[in-house]
Amino acid sequence: MSFAWAALTVFTRRCSWLKVLLVGGGGREHAIAVAFARSSYSPKLYCLSELVNPGISRIVKNSGGEYYVGNPNDPEMVLKTALKTGVDFVFIGPEEPNFHGVPDSLEEKGVPCIGANRQVAEIELSKASMRDLQWKYRIPGRLWYKKFRTFEDAAPYVEEYAESVALKPARQVGGKGVKVIEDFQVYLKDEKRKVKKQHVESIYRDYMKDYGDMDFKILIEERVWGPEYTLQCFTDGRTIVPMPAVQDNKHAFDGDLGPETGGMGSICCGMNLKWGVNDERAILTEEEVEKSVEIVKMMVDAIQLETGRKYHGVVAGQMMLTSIWGPTIIEMYSRLGDPEALNVLAVLKTDIVEICEAIISERLNTVKVEFEDKATVVKAVSPHGYPLSRDLAKGHLVLVHDDEEGIFWASADLKNSGTIKSGGSRLVECLGVAETIPEASRIAERLTTKVSLADGWGLFHRSDIGSEKSLERRIMLANMAREIYKYRERKGILGKRMIWMPGKGLEEVG
Amino acid sequence: MTGILGIYLFDEKWNAGSFGIYGLMALQHRGQETAGIELIGQARRRVFGKGLVEDVLSHLGAEGHICVGAVSPYPVEAEEDVQPLAFNEKVTVALDGRVTRVEGYSWDASLSYEGNLRKAFASFAGPRGEIETVKEFFDNCRGGFAYIAVNHRMEMVAGRCSLGVKPLVLGKFGFEGGIVASESCVMDVIGERVPISPAENIEAGDAMVFTPFSARLVKGGDSSSRAYCSFEYVYLARPDSYINDIPIYRVRRNIGRKLSEEDRVDADVVIGVPETAIPFAMAYSNETGIPIEKGFELTGRRVRSALRPDQFERLKGVQLKLNVISEAVRGKRVILIDDSVVRGNTLANIVYLMKEKGAKEIHVRIGSPHIVSHCPFGVEVPPEDELIGRHLSEEKIAEVVGADSFKYLSVESLIEAIGLKRDELCLGCFNCVYPEV
Repeated sequence: MSFAWAALTVFTRRCSWLKVLLVGGGGREHAIAVAFARSSYSPKLYCLSELVNPGISRIVKNSGGEYYVGNPNDPEMVLKTALKTGVDFVFIGPEEPNFHGVPDSLEEKGVPCIGANRQVAEIELSKASMRDLQWKYRIPGRLWYKKFRTFEDAAPYVEEYAESVALKPARQVGGKGVKVIEDFQVYLKDEKRKVKKQHVESIYRDYMKDYGDMDFKILIEERVWGPEYTLQCFTDGRTIVPMPAVQDNKHAFDGDLGPETGGMGSICCGMNLKWGVNDERAILTEEEVEKSVEIVKMMVDAIQLETGRKYHGVVAGQMMLTSIWGPTIIEMYSRLGDPEALNVLAVLKTDIVEICEAIISERLNTVKVEFEDKATVVKAVSPHGYPLSRDLAKGHLVLVHDDEEGIFWASADLKNSGTIKSGGSRLVECLGVAETIPEASRIAERLTTKVSLADGWGLFHRSDIGSEKSLERRIMLANMAREIYKYRERKGILGKRMIWMPGKGLEEVG
Repeated sequence: MTGILGIYLFDEKWNAGSFGIYGLMALQHRGQETAGIELIGQARRRVFGKGLVEDVLSHLGAEGHICVGAVSPYPVEAEEDVQPLAFNEKVTVALDGRVTRVEGYSWDASLSYEGNLRKAFASFAGPRGEIETVKEFFDNCRGGFAYIAVNHRMEMVAGRCSLGVKPLVLGKFGFEGGIVASESCVMDVIGERVPISPAENIEAGDAMVFTPFSARLVKGGDSSSRAYCSFEYVYLARPDSYINDIPIYRVRRNIGRKLSEEDRVDADVVIGVPETAIPFAMAYSNETGIPIEKGFELTGRRVRSALRPDQFERLKGVQLKLNVISEAVRGKRVILIDDSVVRGNTLANIVYLMKEKGAKEIHVRIGSPHIVSHCPFGVEVPPEDELIGRHLSEEKIAEVVGADSFKYLSVESLIEAIGLKRDELCLGCFNCVYPEV
């Protein structure tokens, strides 16, 4: 306590000139910037990113900081900017700087950093290593998987065995390249096999071609179903502080239709995805959230043990409530989710500067991290073309109608002329806050009309996110998964899969 | 009625062909005269012919990630009238039900129905084929129908007329795309196993539009008058389907219960005429405590016989399909339940066979009201002078078919069994009252 007090006094004394460098310029980073702008320490905020985010740019200017355009994945560039500006610490938004060792080079030079270092970020960078780790330490919620170095290695397997599977690039490649194929009906098998094989080939030849940073290129996992949720946590390597569970919506179009995106919007209320502040209907049970936190903690412990490095920053489990395991890891994040960051930061009551300071000084256990009891819904607005033909989504002049209250800029570029051009991804993320998720959804829905494209090219968003109907369905889906995993739990076969192989005997996995 | 199907996959790696074939097989009960499919990808090809799906489409030799298909009960003369119909070089349409009128177009008596649709479209759209244009054309069509159309720009639209006469549902295929079809059973057969409901109902007047960049539901006008086809619930749809979010199986069980409530008969056994009337009979038996027995065994392929156009085929169907198991009926008083009576001659045949095998009494109960009138929306009801229910009383029909008693389900009971309001249903074939189109 005395140490905490001392550290806090140091900050308090210099609060007028506290400086923070934010790395990254998307919707998530805009939300992080807003959280810093709210801080009672009123830090000077600096930002380094590839495009100039119009929202962050304004906050930076108002705080007396500066915006630098550059490659956030370049450790030299980030270090140079941090030293030049003399910031007290750096907050890293996206995952790629972690993968490129940006936190490592900062810490080497004594610049504190909120961001997973290269070695612990392995849990996100390599989806195959993540599973290896999970199986080695027998952490619950582990899916059955196979990893391959080349297409040629994987092809015979896909041909012979793979049934209902998720085919993934073994590296995190911006959430792209994942194909989930249910192969259950024998009469459609030939067609599905063909596509699976082609996709595995394109994972190897297209999605992974620019990444030489790992041996294994292809990951094949069993397909599971159930409601997905993201459990984001702050960690100083010793303590894990969970944030409210958030549910992202990955399908591009209404009604969970269409290709996978980085996330078209997300919902959040209470720790366990409740219907509303005073409405206890929920997608998860409190027990399931606790179990999920325990799983994330075990992952952090395991990666620290394995690498001997401390985890400082944000860790998140991209989870699913499955019928096999209950809480199950789909992927791990070494940072906040986008758009999930918007939901949690909007209700974060505790000063973010205090949390960062506690992470840096490894005394997160002494900070009471609190969240306001509110429902939040985020809806992303994207130009047509996203996510499959991003070139078409890019370069359109953006018009803003009305004030920007509730609008978070994502893939947008503020030009010197003051005009804004669309990037190739989600353009803005609209945040609604209310007493219930459906109410917050209606607020976010109204905000989506605040931007348009000057050339008439279309924008789209999902109107169903957070609607009563969609919430009901998610709760129903959770109940179905829960009924089965609870039965398995009672039987003592949670996570076990048994297959009778005629002529060979009983095979057990799990 | 026709079974219509559309598959829209975003990734060009897919070939929707085999999905199309099995999807249409799941709709085969809606039409057994012609089958056809069009695949759109690098190239565009329509394959079609007379007969069942597995005979006509088994060797497709066509590829594409988008597909539209149909199975139809209508015998057609010209090849160009086989569904799915090419409206022009750009647009192909699968159509269930009947367009009875097109705003601003006068029907040309010298052309076939399909020819009129093509001409009406040409006068509306010229050579154009944008998906918005196709949708607007159908917004101008009156009648009772559901449609699925694709065009040269790899766009697809699927919609229902504002009265909602014909059904249409939307299913999903993971991150890969969407499926639209007449009935939800298609999703069970070719879609992903989604452990909630397999498909979402597309509401009357609404249309689902797919383009390479989007998939969105376009809400229809604010007209609230509905005329959902009640015959779907009694006979047309598969019992594993949902129509307008109502499970068919539930309605069929309700009908069995209603039949048992409308009058009580002393009997030893309940027997349902396969396949449609089986759930009626099960519920009737549960309700009354009279045991249910399997009364028939079939020879050959399962073919829906009631609406076959030709009498010889119909009777052949019945006699092969319905060989009476004598042990189930000998010396017993039988409650025989069937789904509908059109002309009465197949029923007479069944009753005759059953008496021949030793049934002591036969009390016929029908799971639908008497069919007295035609269907303007494409259900093939024979000419009115052939309809036994239009001309004879229940007592007289009992005598004609050789049964000890004969009763229809009342229209009131049917409405209650379906669970929709009277003014939301089209009951035209049972009561000659048709919706205004």
